[in-house]
Amino acid sequence: MNDQVGAGDAFLEGIPYPGVYVTDEEGIVVAKFFHDTYKVRDSPEMLIDAALGRLEISDQEPSFRGGDEEVRISVFVHGGRGSIRQGIRRQLIVRFDLGPGMHLYGEPVPDGMVPTKIEIEAPPGLVLEAPIYPPTETLRLTNMDVDLHVWTGAVDIVVPFYATGILVSETRPLDETTIELEVNIRYQACDDDTCLLPKTEKVVLSIDLDVIDVPALGPHLGHGQREANFRGAPHMTRLIQRKLRKHPLGLARYLLKSIRLELAAKWRSVTGK
Amino acid sequence: MTIERDHHGFDAPAPLGHPGRAGLPPGHSTGPEIGERLPDFRLPDTHGELVDFHESRGRAKAVVVFYRSAVW
Repeated sequence: MNDQVGAGDAFLEGIPYPGVYVTDEEGIVVAKFFHDTYKVRDSPEMLIDAALGRLEISDQEPSFRGGDEEVRISVFVHGGRGSIRQGIRRQLIVRFDLGPGMHLYGEPVPDGMVPTKIEIEAPPGLVLEAPIYPPTETLRLTNMDVDLHVWTGAVDIVVPFYATGILVSETRPLDETTIELEVNIRYQACDDDTCLLPKTEKVVLSIDLDVIDVPALGPHLGHGQREANFRGAPHMTRLIQRKLRKHPLGLARYLLKSIRLELAAKWRSVTGK
Repeated sequence: MTIERDHHGFDAPAPLGHPGRAGLPPGHSTGPEIGERLPDFRLPDTHGELVDFHESRGRAKAVVVFYRSAVW
């Protein structure tokens, strides 16, 4: 429960910190999703993938396919058909399909070899999380007395990301309808005898921006948000009635606090402090 | 309603400091960890029937979501 919301905030008391547990058949937690801001939420696709234990890519998600016979490369924006909304986590997935006998390198690598690296150029307001690399296998080079960390077969590297209000906000119309993500994929493929030359594949994906689907409630109107798609007033009325029954003075206290915070915010906007 | 951007870069139709904008503080417990079994609990469904989390799902996998509103 959100314990920063106290009894004095009776109108809101009882709201949780949003979060999700995914369990297996035995009820054992296999994944959990909690974030330090309630504005960051995980795509439904991320929860489904966590339950399935694999990535389920849809044909409708923005993608690129390239590479060559030894190393085929696909890039996807996974979740919400690839659209970007404020705070909703999507995943950029770089998938390598390696030919028989081929491998790629994870870090660290000895001098002269090139580890697999994903670098993304994105507009301001797109928060890129650290890439998630799958576990490597150990390849022992006995004549050099070194262990290499390699991937074989199908390799998925995942970069979760989300947009803040700088890029796409729930409180204003979209500035742009699409953005471009530039993905630079650096890798070197080898088999047991030979290494191919290092390569860099540059991929540019065009991604649609979208806004949060807000209810038709006063607080969400009047600041340029698009017209709401669903009526929130009946639900909110029932909520207020329920809260009033439990805390007769709660609504008054809540409104007073809201007015005080609103005045403070207006003062900050005027003074810049 | 005043719109203010928080330190994460997010906008919301409520001023900063509003209790509804409080996020999860660093180090705060988030309950059972990966590898642990969720506790036994029973909650009413939309028809008012009690549902036992471990008994009623018949060994299906589950997603347990704590959310604060239909919007946020």
